[in-house]
Amino acid sequence: GKEEPAPGAVILSYASPYPPTHPFSRADQEWMKAVTAKSGGKLVIKPFWSGSLISSDQSMVEIRHGVADIGLITPIYARGGAHALRGQAGFYGDIKDLPDQVAIYKCLEAAFPVFGKELEGLHVLAVQGGNFPGVLTRHKPIETLEDLRGLRLRAQTEALGMLRDLGADPVNMPMGEVYSALAKGVIDGVVAPADTITSLHFGEVAPYFTALHFDRGAYPARAMSDKAWQRLTPELRQVMVETQPIWEAALARQILVAEERGLEKGADLGMRMIMALPPADQERFRSLYAENARRIADELAHFDVDGHPILTHAQDLIAARARGETPACFGPENPQQAEVSP
Amino acid sequence: MTRISFLLGSAGLLVAMSADAIAVLGRHVGFTFLGAIEIVQASVVLAASAAMVGATLSGAHARVHILIERLGTLWHRRMDHGADLISCLFFLFLAAGSAWVAADLWAGFEVTEILGLPLRWLRLVWIGSCLLIAGLFLWRALTQPTEPGHDA
Amino acid sequence: MTPELWGAAGVLVLLIMLTLGLPIGVALAAVGAGGIAILVTPEAAMIKAGVVAFETIAKYELGVLPLFLLMAHLCFAAGASRDFFDVAARFIGHRPGGLALASIAGCAGFGAISGSSLATAATIGSVALPEMRKHNYSPAFATGALAAGGTLGALIPPSGALIVFGIIAEQSIGRLFAAAVIPGLSQALFYMVGIYILCRIWPELGPKTARVPWRDRLPALRRIIDILALVMFVVGGLMVGWFTPTEAASVGAVGSFLLCAIRGALTRAAMTKALADTLRTTGMIYVVIIGAILFSTFVSLTGITGHMSALVTDLGAGPMVAVLVIALLLLVLGSFLDGLALMLLTAPIFLPIIVELGLSPIWFGIFLVRTMEIGFVHPPLGLNCYVIHGIAKDIPLGTIFRGIVPFLAIDFVHLAVIIAFPAVTLWLPSVLGA
Ligand code: NA
Ligand code: NA
Repeated sequence: GKEEPAPGAVILSYASPYPPTHPFSRADQEWMKAVTAKSGGKLVIKPFWSGSLISSDQSMVEIRHGVADIGLITPIYARGGAHALRGQAGFYGDIKDLPDQVAIYKCLEAAFPVFGKELEGLHVLAVQGGNFPGVLTRHKPIETLEDLRGLRLRAQTEALGMLRDLGADPVNMPMGEVYSALAKGVIDGVVAPADTITSLHFGEVAPYFTALHFDRGAYPARAMSDKAWQRLTPELRQVMVETQPIWEAALARQILVAEERGLEKGADLGMRMIMALPPADQERFRSLYAENARRIADELAHFDVDGHPILTHAQDLIAARARGETPACFGPENPQQAEVSP
Repeated sequence: MTRISFLLGSAGLLVAMSADAIAVLGRHVGFTFLGAIEIVQASVVLAASAAMVGATLSGAHARVHILIERLGTLWHRRMDHGADLISCLFFLFLAAGSAWVAADLWAGFEVTEILGLPLRWLRLVWIGSCLLIAGLFLWRALTQPTEPGHDA
Repeated sequence: MTPELWGAAGVLVLLIMLTLGLPIGVALAAVGAGGIAILVTPEAAMIKAGVVAFETIAKYELGVLPLFLLMAHLCFAAGASRDFFDVAARFIGHRPGGLALASIAGCAGFGAISGSSLATAATIGSVALPEMRKHNYSPAFATGALAAGGTLGALIPPSGALIVFGIIAEQSIGRLFAAAVIPGLSQALFYMVGIYILCRIWPELGPKTARVPWRDRLPALRRIIDILALVMFVVGGLMVGWFTPTEAASVGAVGSFLLCAIRGALTRAAMTKALADTLRTTGMIYVVIIGAILFSTFVSLTGITGHMSALVTDLGAGPMVAVLVIALLLLVLGSFLDGLALMLLTAPIFLPIIVELGLSPIWFGIFLVRTMEIGFVHPPLGLNCYVIHGIAKDIPLGTIFRGIVPFLAIDFVHLAVIIAFPAVTLWLPSVLGA
């Protein structure tokens, strides 16, 4: 049934730059319902979507100062103040799945104080993993890495170095322009996850998709200002703690649903979907990714962050998981243990 | 001051124009000008800051004239006086907000993604422009406004 | 007080501040920041203002606006507006209302360079009005045609208003430009048909001028061939994908520098004036945009938007009634608000309603600009009429507003066509894959 706010309920604002229909927002709404239900209507979340309250670039600053009580943060796109959080997202080579991304991020955060420092003034409410991007192309399918040579591809900053190593010609342009740039051949393709086939309609203009597995890592994605946290009663704080796994599980599920829907839509459109490269190419891609991770770790030194221990730790944990172990830092709260409601 | 804001603004406009045009040219001739967008962004910050100072200097801010044009000179002046003072306060507020954000990010090494242009200096230019605009409005309020602002 | 009441109070205070002659951007920002301070905290208001200001001036997609302005000012310096009108006058000047027809053609041509309605009215007006007066055109009719023709500048791409709409609504600027082509050209056509009919009935409105022989017409074409080439290059390059809509601004500005050089207009004085005019307008626009974003943040905090869309949905009268109500509101607001401010004010409010009703945001962008442009000519704050009044001080404002009446009637018919047949806007982008 519909959860009603109790009289005298605490109302907190939640702000996101995404529209309410976005997969992230669907997960957010699941969490809001859970909060109202778990608190017996004593805590109600009032959403502000589509960037009506906070921006996408400076949401960490805005939430810190209470523009919204709670909000979506994207340290992996921040141009400043979150270099370690941003860089570590490139350290997840060979990661198994989304829940592992989240668990390993939490291990890193516990082990390296620099993350806490970058999150000062914020109380993290949910960690989220990333989709594994692929490449959408216009003229020809990417069946081997060699096929990337000479292609003009729009890509996120982190992937630029790798693409250059592969002989591609990476360009940087606003995501909003990619559709028409693809349609008119200003670019040959775009590095993006499969969900963009539907969400950004890329399937209409780029008939080939190849899964490339740029293993992107997890990052703290929803946060509340410390000040708003201090105002909550212990009882309501407990509600927040208990709903965190629900939020994280919802995010993981919505992200996968979006990807699946993108792949289905691609098949409907008659797109050619290449889900794996030949083994030798996969191996080469892996080693290039590892090299790229070392490069990111090197560059973190410019921002007074020692990236290499973080990279080593992340890779040790991923290797342990590959051996079938469960590292001690994987707490009971990681989304694998959470009840997943369909 | 008019001259400085004009020169700074023009330089910003021309650099922005050239950066994007060279990027387009490069694409057709066969070289990549990665980071052109960031140069455009940085130079537009300069151009826009200078342009706002310039617009204030020449009284070009858009206004509604329905009422004030029908008022007598005395009331017209009083209205202009009040408008200038409120505008001054607002730009001081904007400067304070921008400075607060800049202070938060100062130690965070805020740089653009590809070229690594440091954004803190651009933020300082903007904050300086805000203060300048506030000063211009105050100066106008104090030194007796005589002419009504005009529409662009 | 509930947030909704604060919202209503905020709108009231805004209207008072605007009538008292505060700069529009400052009034919007002051009410917006004040509202955020009340509904959230003063700290939040200050931080939000700081964030919005810098994000706005550092936004790449908005950075193209000053470059399109620069392109227009450079073309003006090169004499493009005079030539457009001259050529049109030679070809159709001898027909009934011929110079008025030429003015509309000149406005449409200059509109393909300029992104603003005011600039188009001012540039073509300063060339065409003296000609029409020399040939005993009715002052009301002549000024009405120019004020109305100027609005073509904002619809025919490039369009500053559409760039701003694209930013707010997160829609592709290229698609918006493509969608505006047919509405813009048909608007010009509607005006021309209207002028022709009016002058058939009342020839004294626009007396015929001497017929220019064909041997004098074709050489005149040569005078605008370079400008036409520039327009074709920019528009065509956009369509075939040589560059993106944002890059088109830079390419166009470089092209108009070349145009000035070819025409020997690349003088220090002319360049200084073009740059100074560009910067002045740019500064004015950025202040309004920053103010409008702060104000719309306040509006969304109040929840008024949700109430309004609920109201429309609950009416259950279907999208058409909702669109007509929105059009009516825009026209009322447009009578005392500046166009860009109006767009920035209303887009965040109406867009969610439109999307909820299942209408296309691209169509809505065109509809919004078209309706807003009507606000540029209707009294009491038809800014284009003030611009024309500025060119010819001896023609009273009342006369100009009288002259605009037939064009307003045409505007309403054209607006009705855009509402009734969305394909007018949506067909071209679908064909171009823009
Ligand atoms: Na135009
Ligand atoms: Na108006």
